[in-house]
Amino acid sequence: MKVLAYIEVKEGKAINGSLEILTPAAALGEATAVMVGTGLDEAAAQVAAYGVPVTLVETEAASCDELTAALQAQIAAVDPDVVLMSGTQTAKDLAPRLAARLNTGCVTDATVVEVVDGAVAYTRPAFGGTVLEHLTMGSARPQFATLRSGSYSKPEQGAAAAVTKTSVEIPSDAIRAKLVEVTKDISEAVNLEGADVIVTAGRGMGSAEELHLVNELAELLGAEIGATRPVIEEGWMSRAHQVGQSGKIVAPKLYIACGVSGAMQHISGAMGSKYIVAISKDESAPIFEYANVGIVGDVKVILPLLIEEIRKLK
Amino acid sequence: MDILVCVKQVPDDFVEVHLDPATQAPATAEIERVANAFDTYAVELAVRYCEANGGTVTAACIGPETAKNALKNLIAVGVNKAYLFNAEDLAAGDDGAKAGYLAQVVKTCEEKSGVHFGLVLCGKESTDEIRGQVGAMLAEKMGLPFVSSVIEVAPNGDGLIAKQETEDGIATYETASPAVYTIAKPGYDPRYPSIKSKMAARKAEIPVLTAADAGLSAVESVVTCTSYTEPPKREAGLLIQEKVAADAVAKAMAVMKQDNAL
Repeated sequence: MKVLAYIEVKEGKAINGSLEILTPAAALGEATAVMVGTGLDEAAAQVAAYGVPVTLVETEAASCDELTAALQAQIAAVDPDVVLMSGTQTAKDLAPRLAARLNTGCVTDATVVEVVDGAVAYTRPAFGGTVLEHLTMGSARPQFATLRSGSYSKPEQGAAAAVTKTSVEIPSDAIRAKLVEVTKDISEAVNLEGADVIVTAGRGMGSAEELHLVNELAELLGAEIGATRPVIEEGWMSRAHQVGQSGKIVAPKLYIACGVSGAMQHISGAMGSKYIVAISKDESAPIFEYANVGIVGDVKVILPLLIEEIRKLK
Repeated sequence: MDILVCVKQVPDDFVEVHLDPATQAPATAEIERVANAFDTYAVELAVRYCEANGGTVTAACIGPETAKNALKNLIAVGVNKAYLFNAEDLAAGDDGAKAGYLAQVVKTCEEKSGVHFGLVLCGKESTDEIRGQVGAMLAEKMGLPFVSSVIEVAPNGDGLIAKQETEDGIATYETASPAVYTIAKPGYDPRYPSIKSKMAARKAEIPVLTAADAGLSAVESVVTCTSYTEPPKREAGLLIQEKVAADAVAKAMAVMKQDNAL
């Protein structure tokens, strides 16, 4: 089986989610990777170090239309059975568009991709994660899937594979949505997906002023800071921090939920955490059903004490 | 400009969905149906666009007869016309099939109402299965420009300008019209109906069309669901409830240390 993994790059490096998909790609069969853009030599070498041959399409492709066209050309050249992408915002446009264009199918947000009885089987959460769907695309080719970050670990690095360079001509009529401006209103680098420890603030924090407690605990643990949707909507933090269905799906070793009641849409984004600690005033808060350790109490009282105790350990 | 918004009803996403022990399928029959939140954002955006620039908003829904009331609720918040495509079997297909049917639905709505839609909107995802791909597939099937996660639309000569919410900011796109956009949460909430608009909407006529009425031709599905399962439950942990906060923290610290969590 031929598997093509589309690798995305951020700030000159392959993103973690993209490296993770190399694991199921290699397990399914003969994996190759494709990257699109210019100035990506270093990132391509980084991917090839995992033993997966890389095709670097050296074509300027900033917009979704350009990327779709570039990938369509590479898919035609490789003729893969399966195309895997990390489930980023970009990939969630690319994969369904390519699937519709090529008259085939696409599964988004897969957490497992494996061969069952000779066919590729996809598992994905639905209904906020309380139900898992087991899907197949039969003999359709190529099959597209985007994977949730954190579903697989990065593969072991092996003997470096080759990087082949190519380029494609993107016909001007392929660009129907013209990208005219990109503005960044969130400058902070928040790496929730790659974090080992996340301290998350919920509405129970009470106000933006109280967030210093979360910041302090996060700093102490070297953690990234997460937030629930209400916290984002209140404007206490930028949406780069959002954990949950409409934010980031995370899988840290330790997840500390502060003043989080645990709406399903939030829990589904944090359920992959190895160890969950929850602090909430409400003893019937759903988050406690998922927490390894739950403390019933006011976060504003508990957090200073917890910070003090953890500081003693350091 | 005349805008079509594709809307869908979903089980209320505040209710946890589990599998029916008998059928091993998601037990959603008893859960109240609500308008998909992102579709209501799309409706509000469309209504605001037409209030500012002129035009009409049409809503189209593939769903059961009971969705008629939901469409009346949309008329109460500014939608001019709504069509219900009552064809449960259409809703059973995969997302590619749904997009294929919606492409035909757009045409049918144009024929029935005698307008050409300059913009077709979908919510960026539905809150039930959360696959988030019908809009993108619809754009491809219709061969139209596509922008996802749009939070603002403005006229731009004969075309449109769309602001897309990205992970760290805004990307601005120019497209021709007609186009297909999916809508994320804009910086405002959908309006509530007034008593007056609600009363008026109650009298609105919602044409209900079957697949045969609308002349929809069958679209094959590629993705099929072989089974459903529930994820393994996390083992219930320790819930600490102490009168003195320091005692609770001490207990929690002891457990976390024992579990090597820190």
